[in-house]
Amino acid sequence: MIESIGLGKRFRSLTAVHDLSFTVGDGEIFGLLGPNGAGKTTTVRMLSGLIAPSAGAARINGHELGAGSQRIRAMTGILTEAPGLHDKLTARQNLAYYGRLYGLRGAALRRAVDRYLGVVGLPDAGERRVGGFSKGMRQKVAIARALLHEPEVIYLDEPTSGLDPSAAKLVRDFVATLRDAGRSIVVCTHNLDEAERLCDRIGIMRGTLLQVDTPARLRRRNGTAVVRVELVGARRPDSFLGLLAGLRFVVGARADGDALLVEVGDPRGDNPELVRALVDAGARIVHLTEEAISLEQVYLDLVGETGERDADRSGLVA
Amino acid sequence: MRPGYIWAVITKEARDLLANRLLLAAVVFPALVFASIPTAIVAFIELNELDPAQMGQIEQYLSQFPGLEPKRAAQGFIVLNFMAYFLLIPAMVPMAIATQSVIGEKTARSLEPQLATPMEVSELLIGKAISSAIPAILATWAVYVLYGFVNGAITEPVMTRLIFNDVWRVAMLTLVPLICLLSVMLGIIVSSRVNDARTAQQIGGFIVIPVIGVAVAGFFSGQATFSMEQVIIGDLVVALLIGLSLVIGNWVFDRESILTRLG
Repeated sequence: MIESIGLGKRFRSLTAVHDLSFTVGDGEIFGLLGPNGAGKTTTVRMLSGLIAPSAGAARINGHELGAGSQRIRAMTGILTEAPGLHDKLTARQNLAYYGRLYGLRGAALRRAVDRYLGVVGLPDAGERRVGGFSKGMRQKVAIARALLHEPEVIYLDEPTSGLDPSAAKLVRDFVATLRDAGRSIVVCTHNLDEAERLCDRIGIMRGTLLQVDTPARLRRRNGTAVVRVELVGARRPDSFLGLLAGLRFVVGARADGDALLVEVGDPRGDNPELVRALVDAGARIVHLTEEAISLEQVYLDLVGETGERDADRSGLVA
Repeated sequence: MRPGYIWAVITKEARDLLANRLLLAAVVFPALVFASIPTAIVAFIELNELDPAQMGQIEQYLSQFPGLEPKRAAQGFIVLNFMAYFLLIPAMVPMAIATQSVIGEKTARSLEPQLATPMEVSELLIGKAISSAIPAILATWAVYVLYGFVNGAITEPVMTRLIFNDVWRVAMLTLVPLICLLSVMLGIIVSSRVNDARTAQQIGGFIVIPVIGVAVAGFFSGQATFSMEQVIIGDLVVALLIGLSLVIGNWVFDRESILTRLG
């Protein structure tokens, strides 16, 4: 489990991260979304014991950052933004080197290297120098390196960057199996689609966390969902607006052509009641769908259209 | 300090070096050049007669070898005097390897994943220092031994005994490793501050100036070789400089400043 409590980092006069509080449970994938310079990398570096925070505290599986940083690094797997491989060494030699640094030796090391070369789809490329690998193959070796020592906590920075769709799916599926095995996983990404598919919860970040929730709830602006009710028959949709205004769970409603757009707080609980009320009032419902607001729209609303943090204006950088 | 981590770094660096033919050539080539020049002069003297008219001009040099005939004394002076340049190998070669090692890691952005492991920065630095110094030490010793036997073969066994004298044996066992370590530390310090190997080597190249200075001073003073006192003083000075560079190295090569400089 990852617990961040008011974590902050200053580089001289510049604040990269401030007041960062969140938890990632065992068996959870937490996505960090944010523009370049939002502090995602700094956050991961602090939580993985690479750099010391300037403020706040964090506990990783019960170990405090600072005194327990070496133990934290031992139980952490990290996929850095750049693969950072040793080009003159083979894929196997690269993995074996890191395996040794994580305390693996002998047969256990060989088994782990073989297993993860297989997991990332490179069982036959182990004896080739990584300097000759494609971007996707390098990324696969870097993923294998991050997982080789079976870490309890995993940080993945753009895990599917450079991978073709089938390899990206393979990686996503494997990350999901790691979650099912009880690991705590943080994924930093700009890829909103990937975040939505992979993450149990997403934190949208710009220096600090602006919003944290499940992808489904994030897509509901203001915590509500808009339900589109398509009607047929003689009665016009606007004739039901008075009825809807009297229902306590309806936040707002309006007519849109042959449909009603109804804003509710909890679609799973409220939609059956909404359907019952409309049918009782004589409505003939063709179908009902939740109007999806894209995660991209939510993201842009929160971080702004420009994306990049304006260091001059805010005095904040990553 | 855990030997397992240091050994992992050393073996990785050794594989890296053996796969890098250009860098490997940079280890072997200077050593051979420094040994070949005096050997060629010795061979030239062996094949030609000394001009008696010039004997007077070099008498002060030859008088340092009272037991030898003038021709052998001249050859003895050449082989011993040029040996000061052997110290350029431990000064130059580890610097090239260390800067290439650190700058190469910075360019490949491979420092962060290493620093993210349980390994301490000091273990990484010691591993890099040892793996940069060992090739230069071995190259210097190998060329020293070769130099002794080849010159003995060209002339007489007395030349081998002159080369393997007590002072140079002590210098090889103490001064050469110490200069290597100093060179590595300077290479690491400079590399942590700049981002390309050429700049690092140019800045670090200043280390050879004192060594060349010592060699040139030896030649113009007419002293054939170092005395034991000079070697011991050299050991102490270099050890002092290593201590200073360790303090500076620990300061400039901390985990956080390296990562934030990498961006």
